[in-house]
Amino acid sequence: MPPQVGSRRSLIVSLVLTIAIAFGSLAVTLSLGWGPKLGLDLAGGFSVVYKPTTPASTADMQEVVTILTNRVDGLGVSGAQVNLLGKNVVVSVPGVTDARAVLNAVGQTAQLLFRPVLCLASTGSNLKPLGTATLPTCAANYATTAANLNVNTSTGNSANIAPDPAFTNIASTKPKNDKKSDYVILPLLGGNGARYVLGPAQLTGHAVKKALAQQNQAGAWVVNYTLTKTGSPAWDAVAQKNFHQLLAIELDGVVQSAPLIQPTQATFTSFAGTGQISGSFTEASAKTLALAMNFGALPVRLQQLTYQTVSPSLGHSSLVAGLGAGMAGLALVLLYTILYYRALGLVIVLGLAVTAALLWAIISALGHTAFAPSFDLAGVTGLIVSIGITVDSYIVYFERLKDEARAGRSVRSSVDRGFRSAWRTVLAADTVSFLAALLLYIIAVGDVKGFAFFLGLSTILDVLITWYFTRPLVILLGRRGSSSTSKLSIAAGMHAGASSEQ
Amino acid sequence: MSSDTFAPVEEKHYGRIRRLYHGLTTVDFVGRRKIWFSVSIAIIVLGMGSLAIRGFNLGIEFKGGSSWEVKAPNTSVATMTTAVEHAGLTNPGIEKLGSDTYQVTANINALSQTKQVAVTKAVVHAMAVVAKTDGNQVSTSNVGPTWGGQITNKAIEALIVFFIAVVAYISIRFEPKMAAAAFIAMVHDLLVTIGVYSIFGFQITPNTVIAILTILGYSLYDTVVVFDRVRDNTQGVLKSGDMTYSEMVNLSMNQTLARSINTSLVAILPVLSVLLIGADLLGATTLQDYGLALFVGLMSGAYSSIFIASPLLAVMKEREPRYRELAARVLNRTGRRTLTASSAALMVATVGEMNTRQSRSTGVSGTIQPRPRKQKRR
Repeated sequence: MPPQVGSRRSLIVSLVLTIAIAFGSLAVTLSLGWGPKLGLDLAGGFSVVYKPTTPASTADMQEVVTILTNRVDGLGVSGAQVNLLGKNVVVSVPGVTDARAVLNAVGQTAQLLFRPVLCLASTGSNLKPLGTATLPTCAANYATTAANLNVNTSTGNSANIAPDPAFTNIASTKPKNDKKSDYVILPLLGGNGARYVLGPAQLTGHAVKKALAQQNQAGAWVVNYTLTKTGSPAWDAVAQKNFHQLLAIELDGVVQSAPLIQPTQATFTSFAGTGQISGSFTEASAKTLALAMNFGALPVRLQQLTYQTVSPSLGHSSLVAGLGAGMAGLALVLLYTILYYRALGLVIVLGLAVTAALLWAIISALGHTAFAPSFDLAGVTGLIVSIGITVDSYIVYFERLKDEARAGRSVRSSVDRGFRSAWRTVLAADTVSFLAALLLYIIAVGDVKGFAFFLGLSTILDVLITWYFTRPLVILLGRRGSSSTSKLSIAAGMHAGASSEQ
Repeated sequence: MSSDTFAPVEEKHYGRIRRLYHGLTTVDFVGRRKIWFSVSIAIIVLGMGSLAIRGFNLGIEFKGGSSWEVKAPNTSVATMTTAVEHAGLTNPGIEKLGSDTYQVTANINALSQTKQVAVTKAVVHAMAVVAKTDGNQVSTSNVGPTWGGQITNKAIEALIVFFIAVVAYISIRFEPKMAAAAFIAMVHDLLVTIGVYSIFGFQITPNTVIAILTILGYSLYDTVVVFDRVRDNTQGVLKSGDMTYSEMVNLSMNQTLARSINTSLVAILPVLSVLLIGADLLGATTLQDYGLALFVGLMSGAYSSIFIASPLLAVMKEREPRYRELAARVLNRTGRRTLTASSAALMVATVGEMNTRQSRSTGVSGTIQPRPRKQKRR
């Protein structure tokens, strides 16, 4: 059933409302100082794609995304995005000037593990890798057991236990051999050669929700952490097992810290989801530990598949190139339509202005949500392509008008009838175009998401503008044209052969 | 009521351009299909031959490798080459993009991880020195050899789903034969674009793959507009018995020719601007990847909507008994007809009148000369 074209009053209301909404929202976004969220190829920045080294489940990969997001956020860069792309993880951080430093930090494919400390290892000058042999066990008098540590609960101090000389000539375990379930020897971060003999990991970084470096009331630096819902009871179990003993926090083959569990308490009490690590921290070392704990343990090891950095200056010139090309293309199209359709060409110019205002407002507003992909070169291209689709809706309508006129109909009835048949065509054609954009968006990889998103967005806008703007404007012009001899009348626009009054 | 009226079209004699403007061209799209199909087949065969012999010029995303880019206004390709070779690259590819951007490509994936990092650092440093800037102004990208393949796999996945969805949509909204014709036209565009890329040795990057997907959507969009008109015009064709299905398709094509040309122009102008201004003048490589594929695809898409999809549809429909019978009836009555300016105009008038009869309520005030009714059909 053909849609009703509507009364004069409703047409005017629709026209005025559309224009008001378009330019009103543009004015609002401009006055708020909002702009599109630029992608890394326009703003400069980097992106890197990681692949799991072993087959991983989707749940695992989703956890990787969460953890990497924490890492990137922990570095204090804004606008970072971590996405899954099939079984790969894409990290993109636009707008950073020192891309390389950030890349190195995020690129650490670290695993955070909690291991019980069995004893300290002495360090000789002639270290040799262990090979296939198993580690010797810690001698009883060197073992960091609760009995040997002999914690003084009033001061929180423990007895000093010397390193076990049995390990003097054994090199620390290499990161690639550092398996969760193995006994290992690992160095202490900045520990001047101090090394620990550690048992199999009892807990991974999954358990930690968030860690923060803060100063306590005495002004000393501590690391406060909270545990996840499932991590909390697991942590309690581990802490109880290692009560009054050392628990090493290991990140990627280096012991970050090996705190004593609840040294000021006589008996074990539940951590109830939060805890604090204190000691001789400096501000820097506290922050490093907090960051390490935030980094979390990746459930799988990642391998860098590809990376890309774009310098801000190159990004800027790409932006200029993209916008320049878009503007030039738009100008050419407008020039052509005005030459071809004369007065009707002005309708297209107006319509594109309304579309552009709405589009900019929407893109800017979306730039403030996490939903929309950032606006990158691919997105710019999507928009440029959509110029063709948007203008085509006018062309379909105007060509229909000419058909109606050719069939001898008055301008007044031509605009109504022409719109009805054109509307069907526009709907069918835009559906196909939107379908393509939607499928690309869903299945898409990398840049395509942006491309498809902005193409789809402008297709929807095209349908809306055709109905709420072009329809009332042309029909009103058409009605006016039939009762006046204005040069702006539709008949003049169509300059159809014999449009003189008879 | 005073109203604008239009003189009957038959009285006017237009020039070629004016005829196009008024949809009165008389190109025999269906009858000359052998010519159109031959042109396409020739291009496709040539392209596939080239593909078999030369293959594609694949970008580093497919082969794996590294590339560096820097804006360096006052240097030359030779200086840049010497600098990066000195930094440890063997056989690097140096290209000047736009007016002052240099791109260096090389495959260093065979080196060990630590060696790669060292070489990358050295190249960044060397390029920064040549460009008289700091290392952060050098863009880098490194791609493992499997990356491009993954993107392509995704693209093919998207393509298949897209084909299925589109064929389903057109089958429901229009009819299965139109879906088939549109599908073949899309495959045509795909093959032509692939062939052209191989013949001219254009570099294929994941962006190219993406752009081709978009083109298929666009080509289809174009075809749907034409088919929409064909469906409109052919609704009464069996009843009136004045024209065969092929003639109706021809008429529809001529009616929408101005629109098809306008649409293609309007789509190609911005893409051309992307290609010439964005990529060549201002040196944005991503724009070039997109622009080139879009340009080739749009040309092919414009061609296939007009010269492939519609004639194919006519051929398929003429095989249906009812349309074969109709063709025989029309031929019987009027003898072999050729499409002339006046007969096309007559047809336009007929179609206009048919539409009028369908909805009288609109209140038509035109002064069209009704065509003398032929005897009622048997």
